[in-house]
Amino acid sequence: MSLALALAPGRRRETGLGLLLALPIVLVMASLVFYPLLLTLWDSLHRVDPMRYGTPFVGLGQYIELFNDSDVGAAWGNTIWLVIMAVVAETVGGVLIALLLQSVRRGRQWLLAAVILPWAMPPIVNAIIWLWIYNPSYGLLNAVLRDLGVISHYHVWFNDRATALALIAVVHVWRMMPLTAVIVLAALQGIPHELYEAARIDGARPWRSFVAITLPLIAPALAIALTQSTIFAFNLFDEAWILAGASLDTRTLLIETYMLAFQNLHFSYGMALSVLVMLVSLAVSLLYVMRSGRGATYE
Amino acid sequence: MRRISAKPVGVVVLLIWSLGPIYWALASSFMRPTDLTAQPPHFLPPVVTWQHYANLLGFNSTFQGQQVQSVWPQFSRALVNSLVTSGAATIVTVALAALGAYAFVRLRFPGRDAIFALVVATLAIPAYTVMIPLYRLMIVVHLVDTYLGVTLIYVSAFLPLALWLMRSVYRALPLSLEEAAALDGASRLYTLFRIVIPLSAPGLIASAILTFLSAWGMFVVPLVFSPTLHTKPLTVLIPEFVTKNYVDYGLMNAAGLLAIIPPVLVVIFLNRYLVSGLMAGAGK
Repeated sequence: MSLALALAPGRRRETGLGLLLALPIVLVMASLVFYPLLLTLWDSLHRVDPMRYGTPFVGLGQYIELFNDSDVGAAWGNTIWLVIMAVVAETVGGVLIALLLQSVRRGRQWLLAAVILPWAMPPIVNAIIWLWIYNPSYGLLNAVLRDLGVISHYHVWFNDRATALALIAVVHVWRMMPLTAVIVLAALQGIPHELYEAARIDGARPWRSFVAITLPLIAPALAIALTQSTIFAFNLFDEAWILAGASLDTRTLLIETYMLAFQNLHFSYGMALSVLVMLVSLAVSLLYVMRSGRGATYE
Repeated sequence: MRRISAKPVGVVVLLIWSLGPIYWALASSFMRPTDLTAQPPHFLPPVVTWQHYANLLGFNSTFQGQQVQSVWPQFSRALVNSLVTSGAATIVTVALAALGAYAFVRLRFPGRDAIFALVVATLAIPAYTVMIPLYRLMIVVHLVDTYLGVTLIYVSAFLPLALWLMRSVYRALPLSLEEAAALDGASRLYTLFRIVIPLSAPGLIASAILTFLSAWGMFVVPLVFSPTLHTKPLTVLIPEFVTKNYVDYGLMNAAGLLAIIPPVLVVIFLNRYLVSGLMAGAGK
């Protein structure tokens, strides 16, 4: 009487239950993510345009067209600038906030709540709050900067492309920096206190022990935070849309995709662009997965 | 000496950075239109007015001598839409994740690891990638501008993270409890509903909060899939106050502040779960 035979009915029932419990997830993801994804890839090789007859195969024609499209080029430029500004600010600011939170003893959970609030709010509301602050005539930014003597007259901030991009980045950083801070804080809490004790006894200054102990130990968490910051900034839509609408000066890749598909109704041309955006997002994530292979084998 | 004084300064700067803009919106929402345009700006409303909230919540008012229609019909409708779609998406997402994650952690079936990897991999691709074909699909099945359509899209967008979270929660549970139940003759389903899920309550709350807040803040998806007040949520309605002929900053700020009440309540009362969810979601 073999044990395997006795277990067989149980095993089969387990398989059935497993499939049953996973089935809804498979159905939802297959029909609403993977099927449209394949459709995107397929259609990006065809001309799908509700205003024109037929859907002829055009190969990579739309991708080539994308490379020669100056609006799309500007959107790439805007997005890359936003990513650079946002990722640098979120990483530096997020680490500083995490260190501060870690050092606060009394009322830390309240400070943490205040820090997280901007992340928890709808991005649209964040952008509206800052839209009012940036208002050229009555906004707080002009008033505060003039009182501080930084500027002599009121500025229409969104008249200048570089300023406009920087101000959009500020709103995005305001929302996303808490995420970096929380991820880094989790890593900080995992560092054994004795390490700092030992460093202090050895006469290490705070900065030295930060570089020698903290930084290497939070590096994996920083990698995760960096990936998240990059992907979120790369897919920025809401803040730029509320603050500057479809303005070419600040139009991000996602806004460009939206305009192409839903305003100009060039469906498949927009899909080709979204395929490129997806490939870059995937590449960033892969880069992270390859860099931190340790986590993958640890599973 | 320097290190002792640096910390309080840091805390104050951090509080001003995080809460200052929200305070300014709050103060502005209580200012009369003439005070909003005062030079220099008032940091406190000189006269507290409820007119913006009144306008949102059902009373007509006057602005620059003109009668202003209350936006309550639109606002209330959008509020209900936001609550229904976010609530439904949260319930469905958490339920599917709680059941599915158990299968992915404790049960063996063909394709298990491949399916899990594929689903979680979609975390790395932006939800917007599939929006254009999804739009055509939704038109074909007549689900544009319906609660069902919007909820399904939300579920497909938030399920991977919830599944990932719930799997890590289940994995951290001691196997011995489930083995003891099995020895006592409890079925798999009984074990799941009576032991595993109750023990995972904090993880379920964390997944529910993350899903709800994400759905509550959604903008691009309803911008495309909720064109009319039939399902249009607050996030799409509120910016429309901006693009009217004159920009009513008092109204906009008041509407924004009403829309952040749920996130504020979550952050005040459930922050522990939110933080643990964020930490787990980002980590292993």
